[in-house]
Amino acid sequence: MGDSTGDTGSSMHGVSTDKTGKYDLPVDLEDRATVFKLFSFAKPHMRTFHLSWISFSTCFVSTFAAAPLVPIIRENLNLTKQDVGNAGVASVSGSIFSRLVMGAVCDLLGPRYGCAFLVMLSAPTVFSMSFVSGAAGFITVRFMIGFCLATFVSCQYWMSTMFTSKIIGLVNGTAAGWGNMGGGITQLLMPVVYEIIRRCGATAFTAWRIAFFVPGWLHIIMGILVLTLGQDLPGGNRKAVEKKGKVVQDKLGKIMWCAVSNYRTWIFVLLYGYSMGVELSTDNVIAEYFFDRFHLKLHTAGIIAASFGMANFFARPAGGYASDIAAKYFGMRGRLWALWIIQTAGGLFCVWLGLANTLVTAIVAMILFSLGAQAACGATFAIVPFVSRRSLGIISGLTGAGGNFGSGLTQLIFFSTSQFTTEQGLTWMGVMIVACTLPVMLIHFPQWGSMFRPPSTDPVKGTAEYYYVSEWNEEEKQKNMHQGSVAFAINAKSEDGRNAPSTITV
Amino acid sequence: MAIHKSLFASLLICLLFQISHGATKERLFSELEKGALEVTAKPSREGVLDAGIDKLSITWKLSSTATKEAEFTTIKVKLCYAPVSQVDRPWRKTENELFKDKSCPHKIITRAYDKSPQSFEYTLERDIPTGTYFVRAYAVDAKDHEVAFGQSTNEAKSTNLFSVQAISGRHKSLDIASVCFSVFSVLALLVFFVNEKRKAKIEQSK
Repeated sequence: MGDSTGDTGSSMHGVSTDKTGKYDLPVDLEDRATVFKLFSFAKPHMRTFHLSWISFSTCFVSTFAAAPLVPIIRENLNLTKQDVGNAGVASVSGSIFSRLVMGAVCDLLGPRYGCAFLVMLSAPTVFSMSFVSGAAGFITVRFMIGFCLATFVSCQYWMSTMFTSKIIGLVNGTAAGWGNMGGGITQLLMPVVYEIIRRCGATAFTAWRIAFFVPGWLHIIMGILVLTLGQDLPGGNRKAVEKKGKVVQDKLGKIMWCAVSNYRTWIFVLLYGYSMGVELSTDNVIAEYFFDRFHLKLHTAGIIAASFGMANFFARPAGGYASDIAAKYFGMRGRLWALWIIQTAGGLFCVWLGLANTLVTAIVAMILFSLGAQAACGATFAIVPFVSRRSLGIISGLTGAGGNFGSGLTQLIFFSTSQFTTEQGLTWMGVMIVACTLPVMLIHFPQWGSMFRPPSTDPVKGTAEYYYVSEWNEEEKQKNMHQGSVAFAINAKSEDGRNAPSTITV
Repeated sequence: MAIHKSLFASLLICLLFQISHGATKERLFSELEKGALEVTAKPSREGVLDAGIDKLSITWKLSSTATKEAEFTTIKVKLCYAPVSQVDRPWRKTENELFKDKSCPHKIITRAYDKSPQSFEYTLERDIPTGTYFVRAYAVDAKDHEVAFGQSTNEAKSTNLFSVQAISGRHKSLDIASVCFSVFSVLALLVFFVNEKRKAKIEQSK
């Protein structure tokens, strides 16, 4: 078993060269699993799944660890409402940039290194909360911690190399949803850790700093696990993988161009800004909102806020699953309709949340809003893998970055100024969600159609193969660099809806 | 279906609780008798006081203008924010409805009402935030409802204010631990990475 570099520079760590009967799960032409066995840890597919979502979840825990402790931190550091809001914006802004970079890193070096490097190099940023003494320091540290949310991209990319396109909605939705759960777990974890440390004798203004060591240690543990137990590729040694036509080394400029020149990329950037983006914004404001508006204790507000993030456990996978079901009957058009319906419903519930005057209605509205927004995230990433095969990493990165950009923008407009109360901000955020979801109607795949238009009947240009192979120019096709796209197009026939052939497995 | 029934039942109970809670009329600050107590708060030294170290000498006694004295059972003395410390901080807002008011969150002392003048030496707690403050004493009746108050400043809350500087909450030991773990994380990563590259080279040269 060698540790030489394999496909696209990624490490061959953990890859066995023995090909006889080697996988625990049935696989497709690209060695990706066609079945999702949740409670298995068998390598490579399910083990990758668990490593991936847990390390992503850890990053959510640390990015939003400050949110439930803001009532304490704002008194220690003498923060104003603007400072708290700006720190929230900062916490999601860092990863706009890092998600883009991670997309390229995955395409070029592989998701295992991408994930491990980010998780372990961001541990120091979490520990540096001990040093913060004012608004500037707080905002800076939250900004730096936020970089680690780029593990979203490595997570989704890793899933796409390990699981076939027919179940990618469910798999991506589950991995990302359970990862996003970290935003809910942290609202429970941090107040409890803080309380324990206080009971052990620390004063309030020291206890919250010590509490940050917990997410820091989680970073270190997960980084080591990913390095020792993870692997980039399902299987095959370098020569076999090259023979199937997987590219030797693609050029960064080419994959970037392929991503940005596709208009669908930009629509998804906007859409994700108003599903994931609003989820992140809400993670930042909801605990403080319940604490201040309904006069609850810190840990009660934390419990309610946690249920927002924890709904991800089933909401996001449900969104991905709903998308897969819609695709089964209506193909890609079903996926697009499912996305529009779910995301718009989430927006309407958000409007209701801002208008709710009693605690119970607020909680009900919040839960329905969380289901809508999170299922929409799952439904989005059920479609993203089909936008491009060549630039999957960068498009995932751009979409993910769009999520954070939407979050930063929303927090800046509605939650950082004295112009809106938090409840008004929530209502307006809901209106913006509904408005920004309308562009999904513009997404059209020639081979599968769009929400209102049927697929193209052109015998050449209306095929999946044409769509994916046209990402390569003649010179590259001569070098057989496009064979992976051909295989992908064959597997993508599942998006034809009821006309789809039965699964092609090896 | 059992889970649906229990969810519905708990929702119903919550709603009932909500309705019953909202039925009582809210008590207002403007209805309290002003200046019923004469309160003074003298800092132990000049300048900005340090939380956890400096003290306040607080005294309170019945004012000659007080009328509701018969109802007083307990005196609750609290540390309150001056208007300058409430700017841009809606979580410290002054509200007329007493249960909503957040301008006096820090309890100093609670004592049974005594006709004679009272005093208390208060050491500023270590969780007092940086800000400008005054002291207010609420007179509370047997039903634990406020009936009157007195404060160490005027009605506009502009005189006799004092400033407090909070503790930082930082500790050298914490700083050192933080640096140690950070260094460990980066080193562990580098060690793993270099090791893997080295093994790969050995494999390839075989």
